[in-house]
Amino acid sequence: MNVSVVIVGHIDHGKSTLIGRLLYDSEVLPEEKLAEIQKVIEEYKKRFEFAYFLDSYEEELKEERTIDTTRVLFKGKNYYTIVDVPGHREFIKNMLSGASHAQVGILVVSAPNGVEEQTRRHTFLLHMLGIKQIVAAINKMDLMDYEENAFQKVKEETSQLASSLGYADVKFIPISALEGDNVYKPSGRMEWYQGPTLIQVLDEIELEEVSEKPLRFVVQDTYPVDSEKVTVGRVESGTLRKGDELLFQPSGVRTKAEKIKVSPGEVDEARLGDSIGIVLDSEVGRGNVAGHLVNAPTPTESFLGEVVLLEGRLRQGDTVELKCGTRRTRCLVQGIRERISSETGEVMGKNAEQIGQNEAATIVFETEPLVVEKFSDIPELGRFVLVREGRNVGAGVVLETRV
Amino acid sequence: MLDLKDLENRTIYIVRETYAEFKKPAVLWSVGKDSTTMLWLCRKAFFGKIPFPVIHIDTGYKFKQMYEFRDKIAREWGLDLLVARNEEALKAGLNPEDGKLDCCTRLKTEALKMFLEKHGFDALILAIRRDEHGIRAKERYFSPRDEDFKWDYKDQPLEMWDQFQGLIGEGSHMRIHPILHWRELDVWEYVKMEGIPINPMYLARNGKRYRSLGCEPCTSPIESNASNIDEIVEELRTTKVAERSGRAQDKERAFTMQKLRALGYM
Repeated sequence: MNVSVVIVGHIDHGKSTLIGRLLYDSEVLPEEKLAEIQKVIEEYKKRFEFAYFLDSYEEELKEERTIDTTRVLFKGKNYYTIVDVPGHREFIKNMLSGASHAQVGILVVSAPNGVEEQTRRHTFLLHMLGIKQIVAAINKMDLMDYEENAFQKVKEETSQLASSLGYADVKFIPISALEGDNVYKPSGRMEWYQGPTLIQVLDEIELEEVSEKPLRFVVQDTYPVDSEKVTVGRVESGTLRKGDELLFQPSGVRTKAEKIKVSPGEVDEARLGDSIGIVLDSEVGRGNVAGHLVNAPTPTESFLGEVVLLEGRLRQGDTVELKCGTRRTRCLVQGIRERISSETGEVMGKNAEQIGQNEAATIVFETEPLVVEKFSDIPELGRFVLVREGRNVGAGVVLETRV
Repeated sequence: MLDLKDLENRTIYIVRETYAEFKKPAVLWSVGKDSTTMLWLCRKAFFGKIPFPVIHIDTGYKFKQMYEFRDKIAREWGLDLLVARNEEALKAGLNPEDGKLDCCTRLKTEALKMFLEKHGFDALILAIRRDEHGIRAKERYFSPRDEDFKWDYKDQPLEMWDQFQGLIGEGSHMRIHPILHWRELDVWEYVKMEGIPINPMYLARNGKRYRSLGCEPCTSPIESNASNIDEIVEELRTTKVAERSGRAQDKERAFTMQKLRALGYM
């Protein structure tokens, strides 16, 4: 099994150190990486830090803070893609880039500091991204003399935060990334804790089974291949079978999948995630979404989304570009129902006129006909980015497909 | 093992996005295992024939076997092969002893820069992977370069859910990294599964093989007895030696790779 894990939390609570420790104790690091770090330490007259395994920019090592996301691959009982993200407010864009494909979040909270601004914001964003499982690692227990009281206090705070966003069953682990307690190896210094180490928790994770959902196929392009026209794209949910009757929206074309082409050859069926080509008896363009005649995709002209804005301001009445699947469309911010703090998840105002950088909101968008799905039903078509002057400035999920 | 089919599907999706979103894309081919696998995946994305040019940056210092392999594959796969060389620097006798940062920058980065100016490609597909180097682990799938080829690594685009940011402004180009999420082991497993031809220099002879291929003066083989692909896969499962350990430009000084890449190196 391959599990994608994102490590989140406030700056200096020890995210990079934690992953560095995990890699170090599991002895998977190339010898050369140690030599490279040795060189950096000598050149810059620094002391050894586990974070140096992750932070690779010169600026990151000098300033001792992570600027951009790093992904490392790690093998325990499962294969893990571990994503380290920056814990600084100004790099939320990078945090989201790193977290968007994660299945599990590890929330690192420093025992001496407790829950802080980015602890809250990252938890809110994980919740918004639909990441269902989180594990809380209460770090820097070495600075608290490994005392149970210190752990309990931060556990309580973190637990409140998690449950306010709907996270039940969060596992809490007292660790010291610096000293290696309960990360890869069990600690002998916290006898009051009988639970699993972090790696044990990861190894026991079970991912939710993907249930069978209606077919959604997004069109990327059409290629002439030999004497045929092949419509290429990806199955985003459900199953496509050769011979199926399909409805493409928003173009409204109804047609049959004569053949499903891969390279080389043909297949009878394609599933979630498959990049395929379909030979159809009519032509459809990029941006269309296909489904079966039952549970067909239905275009909407007005929907409710929850958005987090990363650059600039968004005002009621603004027109922005929206990308969902392979479809780009202009849309209008018809109304901002609730302005939401991305730090606390609290509603800061109803029927707001505008939202600013790093704020969230529930927004009614008016759009040219567009196929979207409820994020909780078909996430692949229930999420979108907002684009301004070519820049991806915000991200959102669909709460209601029709308003 | 990661599911090779999942890796392939995502890569093909990204290649097709590139072709749909850019006017004039091309793919870079170093003739090594990763970029040869990349070409293979491009062929699959387009059902056999790659509809854009394949660029080889020739530093003039490549191994003889690399040129032979290049020409053979180009013929067999019907590639539209274009060769980019910094003739001026080569005539002046530039070589790695003048300093590796400088040599790589002029023979690779500058050669490519001049070539792009001449041909006007707006997207370049490259076969870099996150697990190769700490700096490459920071990359996006769509990674913009400005007119001076600079990589603004401190302000990378928001890239979520395969919604890639396009180009902004004139004179820049996009670097596209469709196999960013593959590991070295995945590439070899895939080479094996698909039967992709590879340069025989990767296979051990007399106790040595090349694990990563570059220019002859700056690339050295590793100790290995892996003489076929199965043995390479087995070796990679247990090794603690870094893939690019035989590549001198990465380690002349701390952060050389970051500096190279900030200037537009691959």
